[in-house]
Amino acid sequence: MSQETKFKCLKCGHEYVEKYAPDDDIERACPKCHSNSVRPEKPKKADVAEKK
Amino acid sequence: MSNEEKAAVATGEELRIGVFVCDCGSNIAGTVDTAAVTEYAETLPNVVAVVRNRYTCADPGQNEIKKAIREYDLNRVVVASCTPLMHEPTFRACVAGEGLNPYLMEMANLREHCSWVHGNDKEGATAKAKDLVKSAVARAAQLQAREETRVPVTQAALVVGGGVAGIQTSLDLAEAGYQVYLVEKEPSIGGIMAALDKTYPTMDCSI
Amino acid sequence: MAYSEVEEVDGYVGNFKVKVRKKARYVREEDCNSCAECAEVCPVVVPDEFQMGLSSRKAVYLPFPQAVPASYIIDMEACLGTNPIACGKCEEACEKVCIDYDMKDEIFELEVGVVVVATGMDVYDPTELDEYCYTRYDNVITSMEFERLICAGGATEGHFVRPSDRDVPQRIAFIQCVGSRNNAGDKGNRYCSNICCMNTVKDTLLLRDHYPDCECTVFYVDIRAFGKGFEDLYMRSREEGVKYIRGLPGEIRQDPETKNLFLTAENTLTGEVREYEFDAVVLSVGVIPRRDSALVKKLLSLSTTGDGFYMEAHPKLKPVDTPTRGVYICGCSESPKDVKDSVTQASAAAARAMTILNAGHVTVEAITAAIDPALCTGCGLCAKVCPFNAVEVDKEKKTAWVVSAMCMGCGNCGATCNQGAVTMGHFTDDQYYAQIDALLDEDAADKVFTFACNWCSYAGADNAGISRIQYPASPRLVRTMCSARVTEDFVLYAFVKGAPVVLVSGCHFADCHYIDANRQTVKRVYRLWDKLEKLGIRPERLQLEWISAAEGQKFARVMRGLEEMRQQVTAEEVEHTKKVLAEEWEKKLAREAKRKKKAEADESRDEVQVS
Repeated sequence: MSQETKFKCLKCGHEYVEKYAPDDDIERACPKCHSNSVRPEKPKKADVAEKK
Repeated sequence: MSNEEKAAVATGEELRIGVFVCDCGSNIAGTVDTAAVTEYAETLPNVVAVVRNRYTCADPGQNEIKKAIREYDLNRVVVASCTPLMHEPTFRACVAGEGLNPYLMEMANLREHCSWVHGNDKEGATAKAKDLVKSAVARAAQLQAREETRVPVTQAALVVGGGVAGIQTSLDLAEAGYQVYLVEKEPSIGGIMAALDKTYPTMDCSI
Repeated sequence: MAYSEVEEVDGYVGNFKVKVRKKARYVREEDCNSCAECAEVCPVVVPDEFQMGLSSRKAVYLPFPQAVPASYIIDMEACLGTNPIACGKCEEACEKVCIDYDMKDEIFELEVGVVVVATGMDVYDPTELDEYCYTRYDNVITSMEFERLICAGGATEGHFVRPSDRDVPQRIAFIQCVGSRNNAGDKGNRYCSNICCMNTVKDTLLLRDHYPDCECTVFYVDIRAFGKGFEDLYMRSREEGVKYIRGLPGEIRQDPETKNLFLTAENTLTGEVREYEFDAVVLSVGVIPRRDSALVKKLLSLSTTGDGFYMEAHPKLKPVDTPTRGVYICGCSESPKDVKDSVTQASAAAARAMTILNAGHVTVEAITAAIDPALCTGCGLCAKVCPFNAVEVDKEKKTAWVVSAMCMGCGNCGATCNQGAVTMGHFTDDQYYAQIDALLDEDAADKVFTFACNWCSYAGADNAGISRIQYPASPRLVRTMCSARVTEDFVLYAFVKGAPVVLVSGCHFADCHYIDANRQTVKRVYRLWDKLEKLGIRPERLQLEWISAAEGQKFARVMRGLEEMRQQVTAEEVEHTKKVLAEEWEKKLAREAKRKKKAEADESRDEVQVS
């Protein structure tokens, strides 16, 4: 299941939200600087706990 | 023990590396101080011969490699010239001609990755070129002979698309005696050309 | 095999296995003699796509009179229905009993040694260009529609009439570069479509020949008449009285009564701005890549250039080869071109294909993977990530092995194995460590360490070189066959050696030469970012970029960016990283040594048992 996930560009620092699933087949790039060094933020433990 | 020495121990042979620095006319030498690179290469571990050439890929240049393999009993060759995507087959064939396994040849890309892109920084380009040669020599020390496998080729061709290009390719291949499968998506072959009236510059009919 | 599509391609150079779907025609093509009785009784009338919709055809039809195969076909989308049979008239009318409503698609499995891609082009659709009102004004037509109107076998049997009133137009305008050479980049394409200038020159001569009284005016940017015999033809057109005006009209207006068209344009040679009145306007539309070109691209692992056409292996020396060995391209699938160039390139592709066919064998580079059974635990991780299913695992015997003929040498398995059991031929771990040592032993702080995949990023760096695009001299590049060869340890080791910044680069997702191996690259980089962060190292110092073989510009841009980044990394930061990671590295080496010892012990025990 893809989820709204926060991404951070490790080149320019821009942060944005995009749908993401560990196995999706999408080439990602920063919408601002087009770098491919974009890192998905791990769901915080609090979020996981809430879901439970 | 350094990596080079380890490799030598592993294969039980003494490493004898030859380095061939290419000027490529002024393509490399115009930016990179190839004389300095040559001098530097002589100081690298296991290097027993360094030769600088104007055009290493040309016959005289290749002959220099062959001569050095014989003279210095080289068992690894580093060609510091251009991109392996272009001349790796050339130099592999060259060393193979002298009885050396083609996988014991390594290239350093001093042209596409160095002289052509650092034209305004001769010092930086020369330092980089030295590093690239050093890296190639280090890798060469670890190279092992490899045997290529030969696979048979099915004597048939698939042509995808039946426009004028696909038809011509198919006819050529079929005339040469090969089985051709021409696959066309539409109900008829002919493509765009079949829909044209006349074709330039001779104004003849397209069908 | 007409009306057929390639569905699957497996295998490798010399040994491709291809699945082709031959779609049901519902008319047995070997029996049909094109008598047309079926079409005469067919009650369904639909626009004829061959005639650009300018005339109509039946649901059972012959695509065009000279069609090959010369067989009718039923358009099932248009047919009233065969299940249950709603009409059945064509079946009754067919004396030779060729019509078969129950015909099914057939799947053919072919074995071939080579593949030639000649999938052609599509024509630019000018609807999006509001200023030319193609869909709003009847008498604005495209150059393709012009072909079907002027052709004796066309919708009007060669009478060039305008759509609004079927009169022969006296004043005809041609507008060039429609959908081409648009540098604004919002609509249409940036590239020149190559054929439109000469096509218009030809069209004006056809018009002058058919209707000697007609007036033709061509609005152009440049007339590109560069081929053999082209300039003569262009001069002939001018001598015939065709007017050439340098300048494109800003918009077209229509007189609602007469349906005549008004164009305002500046003649940029004289500076004169004026309005012109025409009876019909022909939009000289450009060439675009096939709208479904991505399908074939994926099937055959091809690459495309920025404009969407298939990319050649080398722009000058291998113009009809592709990055996939044994696959060739020709015609407009490679770039817009005319008939002569298509035929020339087609013969070139055939000749290239024959070099392999004629030799009867090819040699496969000895860069395949091998698994050391002594170290392998049979976990099967390598088999999971292999894009070619070349690894077989025996869970019971706790071992795995590589089928060499299927292995392409990407190295994904090598980077995945936790046991160090995989050796990549000609690209071993030791070779990489030797290179990292050599490049970072001295002045590591001044260097940007880069892993580049053979097919795209390394070639992209070559492209920057060929194009002489300058960038700083700090990058030190190591070549891997695929970015998926880059193990996490390689990256960590570069940091151990003091690299301020490390880049892992590979092909764009669509271009990966090992199907989808580079998806694993992403996962590894994600893991590395986590790990670095955990160890108190800025994850930003590890960068990831997809750079295609055509993207020399991007390669240079990325390198400039990395150099800026490198300058911001402090000496203290590097020292800290070295210290932290050196500890990790010692642990790793200890683990490895232990594993090796155990494997050796197991092996000697096995030997004892055997003896």
